Amino acid sequence: MIPAALVPAMPHLLAGDPADSWAELAAATRTVGDRLRAAGVDTVLLLSTQWFTVLGHQVQCDDRLRGRRTDENWYAYDYGHLDHDLAVDTELAHAWADAIDAAGMQARRTRYDGFPVDTGTVVASKLLDPHDEGRWAMVSCNLYADPAAMAAVAAAGVRAADQLGRRLGVVAVSGLSSGLTARWIRPSEDRVEPEHDRWNRKVLDAVRAGDRSAVLAMREEFAVAAQADSQFRAFAFLDGSGAVDRPGEVLAYGPVWGTGAAVVWWGEHTNTRET
Amino acid sequence: MARVFHATAGSGRSASRRAARTEPAPAAAPSTTSGSGGRGGIVAGYLAPHPPHLVYAENPPQNEPRSTGGWEVLRWGYEELRRRLRAHAPDVLVVHAPHWITMVGHHVNCVPNPRGVSVEPIFPHLFRYHYDFRTDVDLAEAIVEEGARAGLVTSAMREDGVRVDYATIGALHLANPDWDLPVVSLSANNNPYFYSDASLAEMETLGEATRKAIEKTGRRAVLLASNSLSHLHWDAEPDLPEDMGVERPFTHAQYAGDMELLRTIREGPTSRLKEAVPAHIEATSSETKAGSLTWLMAAMGWPAIAGDVLAYGTVIATGNAVVEWVPT
Ligand SMILES: [Fe+2]
Repeated sequence: MIPAALVPAMPHLLAGDPADSWAELAAATRTVGDRLRAAGVDTVLLLSTQWFTVLGHQVQCDDRLRGRRTDENWYAYDYGHLDHDLAVDTELAHAWADAIDAAGMQARRTRYDGFPVDTGTVVASKLLDPHDEGRWAMVSCNLYADPAAMAAVAAAGVRAADQLGRRLGVVAVSGLSSGLTARWIRPSEDRVEPEHDRWNRKVLDAVRAGDRSAVLAMREEFAVAAQADSQFRAFAFLDGSGAVDRPGEVLAYGPVWGTGAAVVWWGEHTNTRET
Repeated sequence: MARVFHATAGSGRSASRRAARTEPAPAAAPSTTSGSGGRGGIVAGYLAPHPPHLVYAENPPQNEPRSTGGWEVLRWGYEELRRRLRAHAPDVLVVHAPHWITMVGHHVNCVPNPRGVSVEPIFPHLFRYHYDFRTDVDLAEAIVEEGARAGLVTSAMREDGVRVDYATIGALHLANPDWDLPVVSLSANNNPYFYSDASLAEMETLGEATRKAIEKTGRRAVLLASNSLSHLHWDAEPDLPEDMGVERPFTHAQYAGDMELLRTIREGPTSRLKEAVPAHIEATSSETKAGSLTWLMAAMGWPAIAGDVLAYGTVIATGNAVVEWVPT
């Protein structure tokens, strides 16, 4: 089985002075990174809902994404300034794009100097891979792609990796409820509103139970009731990889500026190097 | 439906073009009083849509990709806008655009000289623009202050590293490709995670705050509301992005919705838009849901005038109109 994870997208996880929940979510994301390394993963297939697009499915084909991301909303905080240096598995990226095309969808191979890497990708990669040793294959989140298309994109990535003999991990970078607190708050004030919190926990209970069809069935209602991040299509992407048809381990759950965020792991969790 | 664009990985041709590109014209320093000698205040407002395709089609030296043209009628509308804008002799252009998305509050760009390359994440094959312009920092700060005084969450953005988005650049370039006027750029308060609509009531408050700041600083300002109209569009692109053989409205209903709004605009008065804009959003998923048009109308005080529609056309099926309002 392919190891997989859901990790948060918000940069607060990298705050120097974090809320307790931000610190717990960050530690859990680091744990996922440790487990991916322990599983001997060569390349991580990554979907970030913050890399949202409208034409086809963009696959990052630049071999090195080095730069500094200054977030257009969080720039006044330490976590609004994020250096990144990501190595892309371009052989897999091209094979993935070919597999997307072959599946009757539309891949767009993206390689442009100065391409703005989204905050979610940078945050997740820094926590999962603090020493920039890993390799990534990244795809955008098409605003209009239905869950079946998201699943098919992930499945195409798995096929491409199989053909190349890559040992794969799959990670979706997405929040849960997205009811952002619309004012500047102190970290200690951070909380998820009760109705959204109820929904997040209901979804996570189904994830824990390994009931993927229940999660998929409640996805649309979750999207409306709790403004789920990108309609929680991240789960459909993970499902398409075949990795979430088993109980997920919820390593952390909590608020990030009013939104709900969780770290979930699907896979073996022995021989970790947790600290 | 048009077929999707299959991008060739890499951009060897663009690299050579980049080396040969012309530097943008130097921008004027912001004035501290009305430079025109005329009366201050808002002298004109425009609906100034920003599809990157229009900048791409113009082939300006600042943009790396090259085109063979396309979307001419909209671009001719912008040519007329430029002539009229010159005649208004503004001190400053104030733009509200929907793709500088700020999740907490309304931000105003207070960087004196924003410079950089804006690679558009959705249309990187069309828009890789080298920008270099001047901000009217005094007016920008005054808008932050007036917005806060009106009870809005506002922020003065002073970070060089924040990439200027394609909607802001697109509207400003198309309105004033010489970039010889100072600028104030406002963000769109929205939630990118859920793609929610802006609060139109808040946009009215922001518009009123913008007007107060302009009056307080004595500026002679032209305002640009950078929204498209009907907003359903193709999720695919022809091999030649400017292939006008496939350019048309998404549906007749989308087109009819735009025409209904434009009829209301052409008949006036602008107060009718208080009801017409939300109805148009409901009918066409209009990009005016980001609030730029409402901000513009509120800033001008919902004047009892008609708008002058300079052009209408579709871009990957979205409706776009260039419109002028001149308060009397
Ligand atoms: Fe837009």
